[in-house]
Amino acid sequence: MDIYLPIAGMSINFFLVIGIGGLVGFLSGLFGVGGGFLLTPLMMMIGIPPAVAAASDSNQIVAAASSGAFAHWRLGNVDFKMGLVILAGGITGGTIGVQLVKVLRAMGNFEFVMKVVYVLMLGLVGSAMFVESLRTIRRSRAAAADAGAPAVVATEGGLARLFSRLPLKMHFHRSGLHTSAIFPFSIGTTVGIMAALLGVGGGFIMVPAMIYIIGMPTIVAIGTDLFQIVLTSANVTLQQAFVNKTVDLLLALILLGGSTIGAQFGAMAGKRLKGEQIRILLAVIVLALTVKLFLDLVLTPADLVSLAPAKGGGH
Amino acid sequence: MKRLAIFLVALGLLSLWVPETWAISPEAQQKVVTAASKNLIEIGVSYRGDQIHFFGVNPCPGADLIIKLTAEKDEELKLSVKGRVGPFWMTVKQYDVKGAPFMYKIHATKPLKEIVSEETARDLELGYPSIRSKLKLHLARGAAAPDDEEKVFKGLLKIKEEANLYNVVEDPKRLEVAEGKLFKHYFRFPPAATEGRYLVESFCFINGELAAYGKDVVEIKKVGLEYWLTSTSQNQPVFFGVLAVLIAVGAGLLVGMIFRKGGHH
Repeated sequence: MDIYLPIAGMSINFFLVIGIGGLVGFLSGLFGVGGGFLLTPLMMMIGIPPAVAAASDSNQIVAAASSGAFAHWRLGNVDFKMGLVILAGGITGGTIGVQLVKVLRAMGNFEFVMKVVYVLMLGLVGSAMFVESLRTIRRSRAAAADAGAPAVVATEGGLARLFSRLPLKMHFHRSGLHTSAIFPFSIGTTVGIMAALLGVGGGFIMVPAMIYIIGMPTIVAIGTDLFQIVLTSANVTLQQAFVNKTVDLLLALILLGGSTIGAQFGAMAGKRLKGEQIRILLAVIVLALTVKLFLDLVLTPADLVSLAPAKGGGH
Repeated sequence: MKRLAIFLVALGLLSLWVPETWAISPEAQQKVVTAASKNLIEIGVSYRGDQIHFFGVNPCPGADLIIKLTAEKDEELKLSVKGRVGPFWMTVKQYDVKGAPFMYKIHATKPLKEIVSEETARDLELGYPSIRSKLKLHLARGAAAPDDEEKVFKGLLKIKEEANLYNVVEDPKRLEVAEGKLFKHYFRFPPAATEGRYLVESFCFINGELAAYGKDVVEIKKVGLEYWLTSTSQNQPVFFGVLAVLIAVGAGLLVGMIFRKGGHH
């Protein structure tokens, strides 16, 4: 069964798209991460133009994150003040990012820059996760030694203290913190730019930053992250629709359908596996994707001449 | 004096009448009567391209036939040319290309050069060399190289042929002519063939001279949801963006309610 995607301007197998949505949903349910960073590259691999893939993915993330955000809001896990500071950064970053996409597309190097950023980001996150989970597995094998805190936490605590010394101090009631607004705003901006460029939510960067660097409680970090993801991705979706006209609503809805169902199965599977096993599996997937994208950058491409978007529209 | 003025005006008007672009005027020839299985293709949600069968009567028995499919409008394209920068492959220059038809297909009963002279082929835009001669390349970015024109043209052909928007078939099996008179064939319109008007022109040649000509018009239109999504996203981007976000939030909350669990982000 084929379906015609109006903005991508192509006909594609419906089950392939919903299957990819399902696969990413399964992984995100299993690992408890967003999965935007897997979805955009996979869509590019099946031939969706990169700019349409990123923009439609942002649209899908709005949907996928909103139900979680709503649930956490009802449980009182959202630090709105912190969320708004990060969001201010996220909206700034997203707006810059969308303009960056426009310029890069006109130059014909959007795909190149996107892949470079993906390789750097996935390579870093993947190897950090791999090393960390390997260490955890070794440590648990060595059985309970003494309960001494690992050295990593000490340096992270140091970072948190360093950033909290910056000016523009604010009191964040829900997180129980009195810290500078500069770091939350800048991490928001960074993730906002990445959201536009890559079509990701950025939770896998934001949540660790909130916990280890800002020093927020884990559950509040997750709730607040979801809150800001909904609004940052909504901003990116709006801007992509205005500026680049690359949001394919039909594609986003099919992906949403697939990922929702996949996530339910992923969450069930996740209960049967150990945390570090799951993390090492995710690390391997992420690293494999990194290698694939890196090869795209260095191997001689099959076509040296390609179409650049002359004006708006996905083709 | 007055007569001279009238004569000059009449001469001026007459010169407007003569088509300047075509040395040979196809319209003035005998007519090839043709019929298409349909003249309208609608792009709906399950659209995956379409094909149209064409039938025609060749008024000059035994003539060579060439059928040309083109999009009514030429496209203005921007083509990126990749090159090596350090270890990486990235876009190093871009060309603005004018004069390339969006779609271009030829069916002929035998190789084009056996049917028409180079000059006639260029005048009637038959065959890839004729397209190449009317392309206008303008370097938009980067440094030009002597083989760029060749490279860009080949690249363009490859892109178009892979999308099944261009092809040239010089094979009597593909263009069947029964008893030298009745011919039939079909053109495939791939999913990449977007909205617009397409011309199908039938040319009959006797000894390289154009003897008869016929024309069909095919229109491709998006309909229903596809039409609405495309036109809204292009013409009312603000409304479309807001709508996309609202639908996503609504769908997300609905799904969350169905599964009675938080989302997975």
